[in-house]
Amino acid sequence: MEDYAERIVDKALDLGCQDAVADVTVNRSYQIRFAQNEVVISNRWRETTASVFLVHNKRVVASDIKDFTKLDAAMENLVKIAKSSKENPDYGGIAEGPFKYDRLVVDKRIVDLMHGSDYVQAAVNGALAEGAKECAGSFWKYDEEHYLRTSNGVRGYDHRANLYLSIRALVSLESSGHGIACGTKLSQFDPEKAGRKAGRIASLAKNPVGGEAGTYDVVFDPLIFGSMIDQVGGRASAFIVLAGLSPYAKKIGKRVAAGTVTVEDDGSAESIGRLRFDAEGVPTRRKKIIDKGVLKTYLHNTSTARKFKAKTTANAGLIAPQPHALFCKPGNWTRDEIFEECRDGLWLTNTWYTRYQSYMTGDFSTIPRDGIFRIKKGEIVGVWKDIRLTDNLIKVWKSIAGLSKTVDQVTWWGEVSVPTFAPYALARKIRITRSAE
Amino acid sequence: MADFDLVDFAVERARQHGAEYAEARYEHQLNEEFILKNGVLDALYVGEDSGIGVRVLAKGGLGFAATNFLTKSDVRAIVDDAIKIAKAAHRKNPIVFAAEEPVVADWAVPQTRKLSDVSVEEKTEEILHIDRELLDLKYKVAARFFMQSNKQIDKYFVNSEGSRIKSFSPRIRLSYFLTIVHDGSAEQTHQSYGWSGGWEAVREVDMFRRTLDEAKSMQNALEHGKKSPEGKMDLVVGPMVSGIASHESCGHPTEADRVLGREASQAGKSFITPQSIGQRVGSPEVNVVDDPTVEHAIAFYVTDDEGVKARRRYLYKDGIINEFLQNRETAAVLGTRSNGAARATTYNVEAIVRMANTFVEPKDWGVEEMIQDVKYGVYMKSFMEWNIDDKRYNGKYVGREAYLIENGEVKAPVRNTVVELTTPAFWGAVDAVGKDLELFHAGFCGKSDPGQALDASLGGPSMRLRNVYLR
Repeated sequence: MEDYAERIVDKALDLGCQDAVADVTVNRSYQIRFAQNEVVISNRWRETTASVFLVHNKRVVASDIKDFTKLDAAMENLVKIAKSSKENPDYGGIAEGPFKYDRLVVDKRIVDLMHGSDYVQAAVNGALAEGAKECAGSFWKYDEEHYLRTSNGVRGYDHRANLYLSIRALVSLESSGHGIACGTKLSQFDPEKAGRKAGRIASLAKNPVGGEAGTYDVVFDPLIFGSMIDQVGGRASAFIVLAGLSPYAKKIGKRVAAGTVTVEDDGSAESIGRLRFDAEGVPTRRKKIIDKGVLKTYLHNTSTARKFKAKTTANAGLIAPQPHALFCKPGNWTRDEIFEECRDGLWLTNTWYTRYQSYMTGDFSTIPRDGIFRIKKGEIVGVWKDIRLTDNLIKVWKSIAGLSKTVDQVTWWGEVSVPTFAPYALARKIRITRSAE
Repeated sequence: MADFDLVDFAVERARQHGAEYAEARYEHQLNEEFILKNGVLDALYVGEDSGIGVRVLAKGGLGFAATNFLTKSDVRAIVDDAIKIAKAAHRKNPIVFAAEEPVVADWAVPQTRKLSDVSVEEKTEEILHIDRELLDLKYKVAARFFMQSNKQIDKYFVNSEGSRIKSFSPRIRLSYFLTIVHDGSAEQTHQSYGWSGGWEAVREVDMFRRTLDEAKSMQNALEHGKKSPEGKMDLVVGPMVSGIASHESCGHPTEADRVLGREASQAGKSFITPQSIGQRVGSPEVNVVDDPTVEHAIAFYVTDDEGVKARRRYLYKDGIINEFLQNRETAAVLGTRSNGAARATTYNVEAIVRMANTFVEPKDWGVEEMIQDVKYGVYMKSFMEWNIDDKRYNGKYVGREAYLIENGEVKAPVRNTVVELTTPAFWGAVDAVGKDLELFHAGFCGKSDPGQALDASLGGPSMRLRNVYLR
C-alpha cells in the first residue's frame, strides 16, 4: 500500500503538480447491528481507498480512487481536470515535512478479534437485567491502516483499531435510555456497563408525561453534553467560520462560555479518535479551542492558518479542517453535587437533530430523546417527554455552572460526530419549548 | 463485462455454499463536486467509487460484505465472509424475505444534455455566474457558499431467484448557504435542488433566478421584517414546507423497519405501530405519497436495490394511515409484499427501507385562493431551522421567508415564524392543498449505521392550515 501512495504522489509531480497528498486507507472493519434483542445483520468490509489531494498552479482537486488497476489513468484525468479548473487564491500550501510521530499504539487483541456477538449479548443482557424489554444498537470493530505520502516529504503510517458499542434500551416506545461503550484496548471495553446504563435510564423513564415549556436549570448527561461539545468543535473549523456557518466568527479572544469551561481538541491523546497525523501529515497535538471561557483558536490546516495569520493546528482534513477528538476539562464537582445543585430543573440524557436558525448567531434547537427527568432539590420527581431545547449555543455555554470531576468518552450517530470526553454539566436557565396540539 | 461476471459468480458461489438467498450489487459511481466559497473555487472533488456488495441469508441470519477489489479471489472472500457472519447470528426468529417474482430489466434515466458532455469549466461557470449576479445586487453578503455536485451511477444487480437488473442514474444537485446582514441583523438561508437527468437541470430548476429572488427576500426581511405574531391563526405554507413536513412526519414514521424497531438505536422508532393502519392522522384533504417513479425527481428509480419494481405508495390517504414503506425483510414480518422501498447509497452498504420522492398529492387550489380566504395569519414560503423527535411526533419548522396575511392580502415580511406542532395537529389542520407541485427541492435523508445519506425529494404543493398555534 505504501507503493500506491508513493506512486500517486510521484505521478502527480511528474504531471506538473506542485503539491500532492495520498492517503491510502485499508479498511477491515466489522459490524453487528442488533434490534429486538437479536442480531439483524453483520457486515464486513475489505476495502482500500486512496484519498488524493493535488494542486496544479493553485488549482485544487481532491479525489478518492478505488480502482488501483487504473491508477495512472486516474491521476492523468485528475490533473487534466485541475488544469481546466479555477485558481484558488486562498490556497496556502501543505505542511513541510518530514515529521516524527509518536509511537504506534494498537491493541493486537482488537485487531485479531473475529467475532463480536458475545459483546452484543453482554450489552443486551445488561440492559435486560435493569428492566429493559427491547434493545437495539451496533457493535463495531474498527480496523484501519493508513499509508500517507506527501510531496513535502511526509511519510506516515498509522494503524487505528478500536471497539465501539451503542445500545438503546426500551421499556416502551416512550421509555428509553442510551449507553455507549468504547475503547482502544480490549480491557477497557465494557459493553455490559453500557447496557446497564441504557436499561437503568429506560426503567427510570417509565410513564412519562408531556413536559412544560419554560426556563429550567438542566443537568446534562455526558451523552447530550457530548453533543454540545461536538457543536463547539465543528463550528470552530476555520472552513466553517469562513462559510458563515459559525457563531464563533470574529470571536477569537472573546468570552464564549463560562469561566469554568475549557474545551480542547487532541488527536494525539488516548481515545478512539486517536491518530498520529492529520491529512497533511502534521503530527496531531493538543490545543485549547476554549480556555476558561475564552475562544482561543479555530481549527486550521496550512491554508486556513495562513489566511488567519495563524499556525496549523494539525486538523487538516482532505479539504476542510476538522476536530479529531474533543476534551472538555473536568470540573471539581461530584456527580451527586451536580444533581444537588439542580433545585428546579431537568436531567437530560440524550438528544438528536440539533439544527440552527442562524449559524451566525448560534440560535438553535435540539430534541432530547431517551430519559427526560424533572428534578427538584436534586431529586427526580417526574418523567417527561415531548420537549425541545430551544436556545443559543453561546448562551448555553455561558450558562454552565458546574462540571463533574469525571468524564465519559462518548460518540454517537451524527450527534457526537467525533470521540468526545464529556462530564456531567449543570447549566442555568435553559429554554425549553414544546409542541402545540 | 468482467465486473458483471463477478456479480454472477458471487451469487452462484453463495448459493453453492449454503446461502438460502443471495444477492450481489456492483456499482460504479462517478462523483463531481464544486465548492465555491465567497467567490473562490475552494476545491473540486472528482471521485470514482466502484465495488461489489454481497448480501446473503444463511441459517436465518443476514450477512453483508463488500470489496472494491474486483478480482475473483476478493469476491470469493467477501461471499465467504457474508455466509460466515450470517450463520453466526444464531437468531431465535429466522429472518425471511417476502416472496417476489424475478425481474429482468435494463433501465436508464434520460439526459437531454449528458453530464459527461459538460466541461468542468462550464459546470464551474454556472455557479460563478450566480455568485457574480448576487454581488451585483449590492447587498451586504457576509458569506456565500455554493455547491454543485453530480453523480453518474451504474448498477448491476443479481439475486439467486433470477433477478438481473442493469441501471444508470445520472443525478445533479445545486445548493447554497447565504448570509446577508443589514443594520446589525442577519438572515441566513440554505436551499438545495435536485434532478435525475442531465445538465438540463440548471435551466429546469432555474437556480439563478431562485437565488437572486431568495437574496431579495432576505434583504426585504432585514429592512422591513416584523416580529411574527403569536397565537392561533391560519397558516399557508409553500412547497418547501409541505415537502419537509411530508418527509419528516409522514415518510419517516411509515418506514416499516422503523415501525418494527430495526432502526431504534439510531434513526429511532415511530409513533405509528403495525396496528395503526386505518387510523386518522390528518384531515380528509391529506394524501401523502412516496413515489420513486416521478420522472426527473432526484430519487427516481424503476427497480429498488432488492430488485423489486417501484410504484407510488399512499402513506396517508384521505388523512388515514394507509401503507408503510417496505422492503422484503419488513414485508415478511408484517405479512405483506415489498413495495420497492429498499435502497443503498453505495455498493458497500446494505439496502434498507428508504423514502424516495415524498410529497403531498396536489389538488386544485391556487395560492392566491388560499390566501384570499385568510383573515389573519402567516404565509410561510420557506424554512431554515427544523427538527423532529425520533418517534416523529413533535415537529418544528422555523420560517425563513414568511409574510403576514391580513384580510386576504399578503403584507409585510415576518421573521422567524415558529411552527411547533404535533404530527396530528399539523396534518389535521390542513383544509386546502394547492396545484403548484414543486418536486425539485432536495435533501439528504440520513439513516442506518453506517450512516447512509441518500437523495430525497423534499418538495410538494402549497397548503393551508387552519387555526394553528404559531409564535
